[in-house]
Amino acid sequence: MKRIGGFFKDINKNKVLLLMALPATLWFLFFSYLPMAGVVIAFKEYRNSRDGFWASIIDSKWVGWDNFKFLFSTNDAYIITRNTLLYNIFFIIVGLVLAVTMAIILAEITNKKLAKVYQTGMFLPYFLSWVIVGYFVFSFLSFDKGMINQIGSWFGAEPTQWYTEKAYWPFIIILVFLWKSVGYNSVVYLAAIMGIDKSLYEAAMIDGASKWQQIRNITLPMLKPLMTILTLLAIGRIFYADFGLFYQVPRDSGALYSVTNVIDTYVYRGLKATGEIGMSTAAGLYQSVIGFTLVIVSNWIVRKWDKDNALF
Amino acid sequence: MSKVRKSFVTTLVLMLALSLSLSACGGKKEESTGTPEKPVELIWYTIGTPQKDVDRVMEEVSKYTKEKIGATVKMNMIDWGDYTQKMQVMTASGTPMDLMFTSSWAFDYVQNARKGAFLPIDDLLKNQGKGIVDTLDPAFLEGSKVDGHNYGVPANKELPAQSVWRFNKNLVDKYKLNLDNVSSLESLEPLLKTIKENEPGTYPLAVDKTFNPVVPFDYIIQSMPMAVKVDDKDLKVVNILETPEMKQTLETMHKYYKAGYVPTEAATLTSLSDVQATGKWFTDIATNQPFADNAWSQSLGYPVVSKAASPALIYNWSVMGSMQAISANSKYPEKAMEFLNLLNTDPVLRNMIDSGIEGVHYKKVGDDTMENLPESKNYDMPTFSLGNVMLTYRDKKDPENKWDEFKKFNESGKKAPLLGFNFDPSKVTTEIAAVQNVKEEFWASLMTGTVDPDKFIPQATAKFKAAGLDKIIAEAQSQVDAWKASKK
Repeated sequence: MKRIGGFFKDINKNKVLLLMALPATLWFLFFSYLPMAGVVIAFKEYRNSRDGFWASIIDSKWVGWDNFKFLFSTNDAYIITRNTLLYNIFFIIVGLVLAVTMAIILAEITNKKLAKVYQTGMFLPYFLSWVIVGYFVFSFLSFDKGMINQIGSWFGAEPTQWYTEKAYWPFIIILVFLWKSVGYNSVVYLAAIMGIDKSLYEAAMIDGASKWQQIRNITLPMLKPLMTILTLLAIGRIFYADFGLFYQVPRDSGALYSVTNVIDTYVYRGLKATGEIGMSTAAGLYQSVIGFTLVIVSNWIVRKWDKDNALF
Repeated sequence: MSKVRKSFVTTLVLMLALSLSLSACGGKKEESTGTPEKPVELIWYTIGTPQKDVDRVMEEVSKYTKEKIGATVKMNMIDWGDYTQKMQVMTASGTPMDLMFTSSWAFDYVQNARKGAFLPIDDLLKNQGKGIVDTLDPAFLEGSKVDGHNYGVPANKELPAQSVWRFNKNLVDKYKLNLDNVSSLESLEPLLKTIKENEPGTYPLAVDKTFNPVVPFDYIIQSMPMAVKVDDKDLKVVNILETPEMKQTLETMHKYYKAGYVPTEAATLTSLSDVQATGKWFTDIATNQPFADNAWSQSLGYPVVSKAASPALIYNWSVMGSMQAISANSKYPEKAMEFLNLLNTDPVLRNMIDSGIEGVHYKKVGDDTMENLPESKNYDMPTFSLGNVMLTYRDKKDPENKWDEFKKFNESGKKAPLLGFNFDPSKVTTEIAAVQNVKEEFWASLMTGTVDPDKFIPQATAKFKAAGLDKIIAEAQSQVDAWKASKK
């Protein structure tokens, strides 16, 4: 009884804060926690029932781990896991370095108007859908009408079948990804740089610190918490590949699968024929569990190393 | 901490209970009334680019059906490319609906019948659907049975499927080409050569990534490598890539590809509509129906001629090419069947659904002929997808004997070996998902001739086997054998 009374007292004390948290809490409850009950579908052979969705879930028969088998049943399991992980690790590292570099360069440009122009120019690709980006890339790489083969032909080079030559694709994929995402991430870091107390730089300048020393000893340390958090969040999604990037940009070319097939495209290709909801749920659950584990582990490592920068 | 967790759990439980009780309310059966005064509403999902005037036309349709069967109609159109996936999600989540389009090529009929998306309609056909049984060629209802039950009403249209080579007639005339000897892929060679030499920028053989060359096989699952040869009495299921017929065809395709007859990017080309609009193609492959040349010429805007590339055979997928099914969660299955019956027997309703409102979207120029009015651009429906095609008014340019020719064509069709057999993949779903991935990797580049079959057929076969193709073939074989035995 006393505990319940205390509970209401707590609510009363923090009502403003609680009220502010309410919309987000409700959102998470409805769209993230409630649907979690649906993971049972991963262990069922989902069949429609006359009496609606809940009845379908309850009536479908249990199949244990069968739905997970297709993810691991062939050699492709190794290829898709390798591709997904390697690309994402590369994206995280190169993306972080480039975004921070760009943010620092933008912050150092004295002509603020020009800086805005560059910033907007870099930001713009982020808003394009992958389908459109896919066509941009195609206009460069098309065999008979593409810009690269055209320019090559002026210098007497043989035209290349870009969409069947898998050797080039890891670079193309990384290039396209960075082109699209670096602008957005650098804006996040730019905002953080703008928030750094200017007097720190003034003090450093009076002490005779060079630009490079200022960046190394003030800007980067001040950005470290943000870098850690964003990287931790990215690690949580390391088993999720950007479907559009790996499906639309290589134009779903079969000859490139060994370097473009990732977990998401594999699941899509395997299940568009059978439409087995149980199996796609299983794939999603597998990605989430691995992602969750990785976040916990990397957060634990961060905490060992520097307690203030950990997520939780 | 524990307090917070406890309250959280309580909220979660409350929330679950609430949503369960809500959905329970929604699931309650309403009393079916269905009289002209108190009509019921039938919700209908069908395929095609959504049209501006659908609601307007359905209002007229509802006035008519209200009098006839005591039901109004609400039609929802879903675009071609989205239909399969959206319908899979909507049926799985129990979205209320009464009628829906299904077929062998979009929102797969057999698969979804097995998943329980459709209501079995055997009894409804006997009671409310007598008209359908009388009008349809019996081969349609017989051929669309799944595990002995009917789950959908096939549209009365052409029954067999026949592949034809289509030619851009302007180019045929320009070079005075002789099409008399055209039949096989190999026979096209001199023609393709002429076009390649004289018409730069034109695709001599227009193929895209969906291309499947004509080979005399009946597939267990469309475009998956398991198939039965059409004249094989023993119904032996084989890996189609290992057959001499397929190998020879792919070698020819590769020869054509190297000669530049096939678009260089065929394996990633998603559609040919660009070159079809500009007329920069010479020949391609298509599925025939009576007077198809007229229809193609009309829709492309320039003359097209065709030559047969295969005999006309009745396949499972051609029988199930267009169907309307009743949803398993339909509140008014009897009314839905009455509506389907009317749609397949009543010319007034069928033409209203197909062409819109008379005097607005079309005008009648004879007993069973009509002409589109300018407004028809706001209500341009895919005729074949909406029930009995042979009730629709002919365009005034169509020949008098159009529907007689359809009937003749249907009678001329021979049965494909697997007609009536439906593969049940439930024991091999894992293998099918893996084989599907291998197929996506190799199929388009092999079929379009982009890669050398001598090198890639063994590669593909090895990967197919690793993915479990042999297990699928063995399962398919045992099902085919059981089916064959049950027929005798």
